[in-house]
Amino acid sequence: MSAPFIIAVPAKGRLQENAARFFSRAGLELIKPRGARDYRGTIAGLPGIEVAFLSATEITELLGQGMVHFGVTGEDLVREMIPDADSKVILIDGLGFGHANVAVAVPQAWIDVYSMADVDDVATAFRLKHNRKLRVATKYINLTRDFFSAHGITDYRIVASSGATEGAPAAGTAELIVDITTTGATLAANALKVVDDGVILRSQANLVAARSALWGESERAAARLVLDRLAAEARGRAFREVRARFAGANKALLGQARERFGIVLPFGDATSSGMVTLHCPPAQVHALATFLREHGAEAVTVADLGYVFARDNHLYAKLEAGLAS
Amino acid sequence: MTSRPAKPREAARDARAEALVASFERAGYTRLTPAILQPAEPFLDLSGEDIRKRMFLTTDPHGRELCLRPDLTIPVSRDYLASPAAGRAQGFCYLGQVFRHRQDESSEFLQAGIESFGRPDIAAADAEMLALGLDTTAHYGLAAPDISIGDVGLFAALIAALDLAPAWKRRLIKDFNHKTSLAQDLERLTLSAAHARPEYQGVLAALAGSDPKGAHALVTDLLSIAGISAVGGRSVGEIADRFLEQAALGAQTSLPRETRALIERFLAVAGDPDEAAAELRAVAKDGSLKLDAALDLFESRTGFLAARSVDVRRIKFSTAFGRGLDYYTGFVFELHDPAGRAAGQLVAGGRYDGLLTRLGSKKPIPAVGFAAWIERLIACGGAA
Repeated sequence: MSAPFIIAVPAKGRLQENAARFFSRAGLELIKPRGARDYRGTIAGLPGIEVAFLSATEITELLGQGMVHFGVTGEDLVREMIPDADSKVILIDGLGFGHANVAVAVPQAWIDVYSMADVDDVATAFRLKHNRKLRVATKYINLTRDFFSAHGITDYRIVASSGATEGAPAAGTAELIVDITTTGATLAANALKVVDDGVILRSQANLVAARSALWGESERAAARLVLDRLAAEARGRAFREVRARFAGANKALLGQARERFGIVLPFGDATSSGMVTLHCPPAQVHALATFLREHGAEAVTVADLGYVFARDNHLYAKLEAGLAS
Repeated sequence: MTSRPAKPREAARDARAEALVASFERAGYTRLTPAILQPAEPFLDLSGEDIRKRMFLTTDPHGRELCLRPDLTIPVSRDYLASPAAGRAQGFCYLGQVFRHRQDESSEFLQAGIESFGRPDIAAADAEMLALGLDTTAHYGLAAPDISIGDVGLFAALIAALDLAPAWKRRLIKDFNHKTSLAQDLERLTLSAAHARPEYQGVLAALAGSDPKGAHALVTDLLSIAGISAVGGRSVGEIADRFLEQAALGAQTSLPRETRALIERFLAVAGDPDEAAAELRAVAKDGSLKLDAALDLFESRTGFLAARSVDVRRIKFSTAFGRGLDYYTGFVFELHDPAGRAAGQLVAGGRYDGLLTRLGSKKPIPAVGFAAWIERLIACGGAA
């Protein structure tokens, strides 16, 4: 009997929508065969893979315990919830959504505080004056402790907060906070400001692999299949296909283009008739098109790429390297 | 209900530890048995958040954080403060399990120890703790452990005697227990360029030279014009004070190289207590610093140690030696196995005069004590 390969995916909210879209773009349709409220699903066309729909917190816990192979969760939760995270999980790739900074924020009224060194000094002065410690409200207890410790801050107390952390200073339950912030608008509305060097972590949703899950041949094959599609999609997104035919398309010129625009040549140098296919980062497309025409190309076509399947797969390579270390 | 019969090894361990505590009782210390389950607050507050990851924490149905006691100093101090003896001179001893996550050793282990409260004869009480600590290792067959001592009070006296901004004084005192920070501080003090926010630089410079009362009123008014009221526990007055202190700090030229050299020379003093005292007097003389009270106490303590027939030449003193815990205020010591058979100190302790105030005592109560790691002592002394 073989256990299935399990991918844990957020069950609710924006994270779920983004994750579903992310997999779908890579040709991995997440399906819930028994209806939308089902917690178990599959991927269309890949019978060996099971999808578990869970909360981000549960996903992180299961990754730490090796109960699932892959999971989609925020790096903030990974670093907070899994002690010595890098020994337990491998962060395969940032997924480009779920961005949030975990940061230290103090009241705007603290015009004397703009750096962590100030926070340190204020903490000590506060203890000497009030005979108690500065209180930091947060749900990121471990991240906060490690960050404060790295800044040599000792005169503080953590107040565990389970929601609406940004309201704690106004409510008088803490002097400052550590919380996630995306735009800073919530902080500003609560008369708080982020300390200049107080960003603890720039987090986003990650595809995470559990080191201690069972990694036999069939699990590795399933992981390879999934990562192959994800890598092909990621690579497709990272480039535009640029085509042209002109006599001047020689090695020297293409070398110059690589240097200036970061192109790659998926099918090698130009053909004898000067036909050439380039992959170019989207931001460089216009500059490249001008460059090619200046060197004799009559026409340059640019097209979006759906997938680029390459022989090497950097995502799978990262998993293999991580599991071996 | 039947309880598990104690294994012979454990029975022998316990009997020998009981004999140790009985010797403490004969020396005049009253035995206390504080609760194993303790409120977490005082430990986090006094030992710092770093201890949180080593504590076994739980929550009661009312949401209060509780823990299995990670040491016995705080529980004994709390019991003393709650007793009728609070405020009077009284000594206690204890034996019991403490609980801390540890990598290489069991997370549940036995500690015996002494806490002495309210004694005004500081030097004699300090010396008695070290002497009883040595009796403890001797009880386990180790008559000559390595003795390391320090004196946090000497560093505090040095900083108090130096001509430094208050912000730097607090910082240096705080960082004494965190040696990398201290080195960084000294570095930064010497370089000390402007470290205030650039856009405030002009205002700060202007305020720096002005009349302090007027400047304070101005900053307070500006904050209230902006409609900023105090949030959290810091008052507008406190914020204004520190804002102006930063102004003064920005205007102050950097720490003179001689002063830094003096601090570094001071922290490099090490040796037996008599040599060290002579050297410290020389440092104080060269720097024209008044360290007499702290040095007199230091020498008096050495005298009491000799009177208790402790071989003073075997003691390794270092001004830089602290125990990494912020609540020590004076004498600190550790006893180690010279053969290195234990994973850490066998006996350790020191003076913590500020602790009882922080636990709620209205008036300051001097306190000194030590703890002994029973399993480690057994590991060094052979049989249980």
